[in-house]
Amino acid sequence: MAGEIKRLLDQIIQQRARGDELIVQTTQAKLIFKGINPSRFTSDSPDEPIIIAKIKAIAADLGVNL
Amino acid sequence: MSLKTAHSSKLLPEAVADLKRGCGNLAPRAILCFASTKYDPAALSAQMQGAFPDACLVGCTTAGEIAGGTMMNGSVVAMFLDEDIVEDAGAAVVHNLRGAISVREAFVELENHFRRPISSMDIRKHVGVVLADGLSGAEEKLMERIGDCTDLTFVGGSAGDDLKFKQTHVLAKGQAHTDAAVLLLLRLKRGFEIIKTQSFKVTGKQLVATKVDEASRTVLEFDGVPAVEAYAKTLGVVPEEIQSHFRDHPLGLMIDGEPFVRSPQRRDGGSIVFYCQIKEGMELQLLEATDIVAATRSAVEGRKKALGRVAGVIDFQCILRAQQLRAEGRCDQYGAVFSGFPSVGFSTYGEEYLGHINQTSTMLVFR
Repeated sequence: MAGEIKRLLDQIIQQRARGDELIVQTTQAKLIFKGINPSRFTSDSPDEPIIIAKIKAIAADLGVNL
Repeated sequence: MSLKTAHSSKLLPEAVADLKRGCGNLAPRAILCFASTKYDPAALSAQMQGAFPDACLVGCTTAGEIAGGTMMNGSVVAMFLDEDIVEDAGAAVVHNLRGAISVREAFVELENHFRRPISSMDIRKHVGVVLADGLSGAEEKLMERIGDCTDLTFVGGSAGDDLKFKQTHVLAKGQAHTDAAVLLLLRLKRGFEIIKTQSFKVTGKQLVATKVDEASRTVLEFDGVPAVEAYAKTLGVVPEEIQSHFRDHPLGLMIDGEPFVRSPQRRDGGSIVFYCQIKEGMELQLLEATDIVAATRSAVEGRKKALGRVAGVIDFQCILRAQQLRAEGRCDQYGAVFSGFPSVGFSTYGEEYLGHINQTSTMLVFR
């Protein structure tokens, strides 16, 4: 399976930013500081369980419900 | 008048009297003060709060102070912001940075002061200043916790101790704290801008951290080989020489084409210890030094031109940049960049903006 990582990251950014482009940018930056670079993942990226678990933990820290 | 700066190199209590005179008739709502370790931090904080009982006071100890474009040592500098700049100001302390950091209590304190949830605050009118214990080694975790809790911008620096590397302090509301950070939240009348400037260009040579010890800010391996070996090979030098290249060739975590600098501190066997954390899997660009003064001038003048009016600037400048400017005898050239508007700042043990960074100046620009 593929694309789950991008879907989760998009959801985090959308929920956090609520349409504010400035918050889109800062949320992307925060993800990079946490070790996940959203631009590295596409709809074809394989669903790596370790990365998915890491993203779910980050979402919880950011107060985002996935 | 909406903003004033002042400085003194006298001892306490005369130094506070000097700052009070420098403030003149201004009624400050917020005061930021940055001081050499020659001042007892608790006494300075108490005397400053005593001199300005109605102001929200924050500050920290430094590794050098900046006021009006002059880089100094052994002094105390202050910026006074009145109601024309700051509509409201609140401060809170985050304790126990070396433990499990929680910013919740500090945020609740700020919410109580502003009488509204942080999440409801306009991110273009509110800005946070963060001053952290520069020897805590915990700024990354602190910035992550802050960023988790809010979308408000927090900018600042890590407190210094005049290069003694023994103990730093942050100041808030008449007290001094170590192993702590102070958060100042400002609601501004005309908004703000952030400048993040570093004097490096990207070389196009990349290193990926494949084995790290985050807690000790150590990279054990880049690209699957010992960090020293990989860094040396990428730079094109022998491993024995790498430390002499650290200052001019740090690494950059790239975000939107901008490097967020991670500076190597020292070799530890085959590993490299950095001044800030690198996480496993991070892709980093090898950077090459350019001119500090030119890069800073370009960043500040560009923003000045875009804004038309700059009411004042706080400069959180890395001690490594300050040391280089001093060694090259270019402090006056650097100071000249800040002519035309009031400014204060200090030489930091690390800079904060979105995360913890090195060899950078982060600046809060008041409009």
